[in-house]
Amino acid sequence: MVTDFLKTCCADPMKLIGEWFVILPALVLLLAAAAAVVMRNLIHAALLLTLSFIALGIVFIALGAEFVGFVQLLVYVGAVAMVIVFSILLTKPDQLTKSRNLLSGFAPAAGVAVAFTALAALLGFIFSSPLAKKPMPAPASAPVAAIGEALMGDYVIALIVLGILLTAALVGAAVIAMEDKP
Amino acid sequence: MISSLESAPIDVLHWFLGLLGSFGVPAWILAIISALIIIGTIIGVFLSLFALTSVMERKILARVQNRYGPNRAGPFGLFQPIADGIKMITKEDLVPRTADWIVHFLAPVVMMVPALLVLAIIPYGRDMVPAELDAGILYFFAVGAGTEVAVFMAGWGSNNKYSVLGAMRAIAQMISYELPLVISAIVTAMISGSLSPSAIVSAQGGFAFGFVPQWFALTPWGFTAGLIFYICALAESNRSPFDLPEGESELVAGHLTEYSGFKYATFFMAEYVGMFAICGMFVTLFLGGWQAPLPFLDIIPSWCWFLGKVCFVAFTMIWVRATLPRLRIDHLLAFAWKFLLPMSFAAFLSAACWHYAGRGPLAWILSLAIVGIPYLLLGNAFTNRFSVSRRTYLFSE
Repeated sequence: MVTDFLKTCCADPMKLIGEWFVILPALVLLLAAAAAVVMRNLIHAALLLTLSFIALGIVFIALGAEFVGFVQLLVYVGAVAMVIVFSILLTKPDQLTKSRNLLSGFAPAAGVAVAFTALAALLGFIFSSPLAKKPMPAPASAPVAAIGEALMGDYVIALIVLGILLTAALVGAAVIAMEDKP
Repeated sequence: MISSLESAPIDVLHWFLGLLGSFGVPAWILAIISALIIIGTIIGVFLSLFALTSVMERKILARVQNRYGPNRAGPFGLFQPIADGIKMITKEDLVPRTADWIVHFLAPVVMMVPALLVLAIIPYGRDMVPAELDAGILYFFAVGAGTEVAVFMAGWGSNNKYSVLGAMRAIAQMISYELPLVISAIVTAMISGSLSPSAIVSAQGGFAFGFVPQWFALTPWGFTAGLIFYICALAESNRSPFDLPEGESELVAGHLTEYSGFKYATFFMAEYVGMFAICGMFVTLFLGGWQAPLPFLDIIPSWCWFLGKVCFVAFTMIWVRATLPRLRIDHLLAFAWKFLLPMSFAAFLSAACWHYAGRGPLAWILSLAIVGIPYLLLGNAFTNRFSVSRRTYLFSE
């Protein structure tokens, strides 16, 4: 068993290291996300959520989707995590530490059971669907230039519509934040 | 001789790896060793640059303010960093009793990680990029986003009102200045058609009329974008005149208030390494990276040029610190959103027109106009608000 392991290690160590570059961040991602749900301290929960965002970015990068990984880091760590943190900072401090437990008794366990049942059912449907029976496609390399050309070529209308949507959201935020003139 | 100096660092590395290989070390261990050597060299160079700058900064500030500066430790006070280091290490490490000690402890570590990680994609010389990435610039900003998390952790973990206020200011400032920073960097990527730093450097190669370097900083849009990038770099590395998060006169030391000893030193170090990284990015994007400014100066190795340019940009940052007073927080944010952001959009449009007008005389006129007119209008709108009236003194005269 051990010699087998060492043999595979020495035969292609880089591949093994590459696999662990995916598995380790994925484990960190799952643990951090679970801990973020369980934590009572809101700030710790937010920071653990940020850690899970970072781990997800590393998983993307390790799987070869560099661009998606970097965008994940830039948007989720740089912006979304900061929005969460800011909204916590702007709430009253005594609400942070003493967040009341809304559910009691069997309710949490029942909730977890429902969630896992739904997950199991959906996974069952997904794996029995015709999509899952298709052979695995070869890993596609996606250079940044190709992604850019796709965004500005085939998907340019979607891109522009998204841009307009975001601009509208930004204008709306500015209008809400604007002081009313007396 | 000259060409051997040019590639000397790489040659030494290859010679050492070849030596190890002749002893029968397997290839994959060699790959790891070579990566470790490169990482060690970069960290070593930047940490010694940090030590040197910490004393040079105090010397330059002293010169500007007409005093001596540090001159006790060693000749000209050159051993001051060693004295500082020993002081920092031997100091007591204080943690406030009410602090969130895990977050308080982790903040300096989290601060250091992005500062070191961003050094990976900077082209230090011809064929000297530690990590050649397709999306290098994106990587730079994506990893740099971690700094904000660290500042927040430091501010919140300390459980001190000055720390939280300082952290909130710092995050507001970093988020606001990140937009013009990224947009002005994207302009160079747009013109050179790549997000990879080495491609952007090679797009700035060659000389017009045989002696004018074709750096992006020497075009109308590049000058504007470069200036915006420089100002935002000052703000991102929390340096004066944008150092309000640590404004001593109002916030003690902002998010650093409750830190002492080596944790404080780590913050300090991360800030300086981050400053060098962003200076390196500025040089790469706008000042031609490792390229020599004049054709006959090519005999000096490219990595010397890069280091020299980075040191010069760092020197101008110290110079600015000695010259300009600190801004007020609302002025600071208004400056980012109402002036720098529209100007970076103008630089963006100007660069696009410059490219499609053929990069000739017409392109120059067009892009100058597209940058210049918004500058005049915005500048007027900004300065008209602050009309200076004659000051009257009640109890003197």
